[in-house]
Amino acid sequence: MNTQSAMNAYVKEIGGWVAAQLEACTRCGLCAAACHFYQVTENPEYAPVWKVEPLRKAYEQRFTVAGKLKLALGLETPVTDEDLKHWSTIVFEACTICNKCAMVCPMGIQLGPLIHDVRAGMAAAGLVPADLHAATAKQVEVGSPLGVTASTWAERMDWIAEEWEVDIPKDQKGVDTLVVFTSIELMKFPDNIAAVAKIMKRAGEKWTISSKGREVVNFGYFEADEALTKMFMARVFDAAKELGVKRIVISECGHAYDAFRWTAANIMDVPIGVEVTHIIRVIYDFWKAGRISLKKGSYDDGTITFHDSCKIQRRGGHIKEPREILKWLAPNAFKEMSPAREQSICCGGGGGVISIKEADPLRFAVFGLKVDQMKAIGAKSVCMVCSNCRLQFTEGVAYHKADVQVRGLTDMVSKVLE
Amino acid sequence: MDWTTILRFFRGPFFVVSLLIFIGGMTYRLVRVLLLGWSRDRVKSRGSKAMGVLKSYAKGVLVLPFIPWVKRTFGNNALTYLAGGLFHLSLLTVVVFGTPHMLVWKSLLGFGWPTLPFPVIDWLSAVGIIALVLLLINRLTHPVLKLITRAPLWLNWILVFLPFVTGYAMTHHLCLRYEVFFSLHMIAVDLLLIWIPFGRISHFLFYFFSRTIHGAQAGKRAVNP
Repeated sequence: MNTQSAMNAYVKEIGGWVAAQLEACTRCGLCAAACHFYQVTENPEYAPVWKVEPLRKAYEQRFTVAGKLKLALGLETPVTDEDLKHWSTIVFEACTICNKCAMVCPMGIQLGPLIHDVRAGMAAAGLVPADLHAATAKQVEVGSPLGVTASTWAERMDWIAEEWEVDIPKDQKGVDTLVVFTSIELMKFPDNIAAVAKIMKRAGEKWTISSKGREVVNFGYFEADEALTKMFMARVFDAAKELGVKRIVISECGHAYDAFRWTAANIMDVPIGVEVTHIIRVIYDFWKAGRISLKKGSYDDGTITFHDSCKIQRRGGHIKEPREILKWLAPNAFKEMSPAREQSICCGGGGGVISIKEADPLRFAVFGLKVDQMKAIGAKSVCMVCSNCRLQFTEGVAYHKADVQVRGLTDMVSKVLE
Repeated sequence: MDWTTILRFFRGPFFVVSLLIFIGGMTYRLVRVLLLGWSRDRVKSRGSKAMGVLKSYAKGVLVLPFIPWVKRTFGNNALTYLAGGLFHLSLLTVVVFGTPHMLVWKSLLGFGWPTLPFPVIDWLSAVGIIALVLLLINRLTHPVLKLITRAPLWLNWILVFLPFVTGYAMTHHLCLRYEVFFSLHMIAVDLLLIWIPFGRISHFLFYFFSRTIHGAQAGKRAVNP
């Protein structure tokens, strides 16, 4: 029963794009050592190639002569309910869809998106880990995976405005920019929301937040449930249409950025003429256009480094912007981790992993790689532009008792406006 | 039946049949994938897809260990990298620039090209054989490779290994008569050709899909592939 739903989902996902890449795999195993989960645990089942196994089986057994032959000869077994249950923990708890594996694959196979497709089968079969699914259900019912209701959201925004003495325009029609925040920022990093408000005001940008499109996080996209992915994005797109904004600014959530910027147009109708961009790009443009000016060298004491988020840097493309800003703010103290940029090691909390309690030991173990990277360059502080990474860093640094301060780049920028 | 007759059969009609199965099978595989449907990418690009694809192929070729992005992967998988790379170098050079092989191409295509001296080809074949043995040992012992390797992959290895050793033995006149090894070499090559459309050696074709996809994905996001 489960298997049938999953298989149907896989058959739906499999077009030429998926098939050509599954066919290209030589099973060389190079992807294993690129995976932070494999590196830390050396569990062969965490090799990215193995994570794609259910999709490969579905493809071969349904679409290829060789696959049908192997099945008939008993060289391979069909996917069973037990298999799916087993792979569900692998693809949800030991993968952040960070796509680092694609960077080392000699064939260039996009393993991240393929593992996302494997998750789609799990979602169809109802085999999403309970914690993740509970958060998704909350986002369906209440509008936020953390269970932030409309009234709590409004109260909290008012509190931030008051506490940090900033203006946070709500549901303003006819402005240019709609900024959509995450519940993580709202509940755990309110400084980030205040920072954005401060920067917007200084730049003279006409902007608003929306009570209708108030959550940027997309738990449907974590689950790879396309219907839910669309439902959550539609809330924001509808709000943008109603308010008549020219652009939607995605705040600090990597998966959300991936969904809105790189996926939405291919799976649903998106409002025409509305640009989707990330907050770091907006800040960078303000700075370059002279709409804000930043005090040079204001963070030049103690080595500071930048963490590249998988969905905002490697798969988002905003690699240059934070670096130029950091080289201005900390010309001597800014130091790169190795590897960085496109080759960066993921924090270990993305892709919904951080919301699954059972995955805690794994994600903390994986974070050890980041600690090593930071220690190697003697970093006193680290900053980033993803609140999900920031949460993982905050918890990870505490867990590993590493003496590194974790900061949001947006918050840093807001504190040194001239 | 003597070895000359056997040889004539396996380098003659059976070779042609094998070649046709190879070409037909691969064409089927290609068409099958193409017909599965390709949806248009409606997402607005930040960078150039074409530039990404160009860089993707450049990166695919520049695999020398001292290149920054290769270093780490190389460090983690030195054996797979070296043996895998040398095997491909050996295979392609011997099959394209070995004089007897060029003559086969000439008979099929109608034109030939300059070839490399025998000692070069000879040493490269030896390198290929050693690389294959190392890769086999790696596949037998590495926990990930053990997990993902099933019967067809072992068959791949055997069917690639046999043409190498029989070819090598034949040029060195080892133990048996020339015609014997030549026949065995042709049988091995024929079997390999027949097998390719059924297994993962077909990656030489789908490589161009995945590398292009990788480049386009990076290019549209304005990052390096």
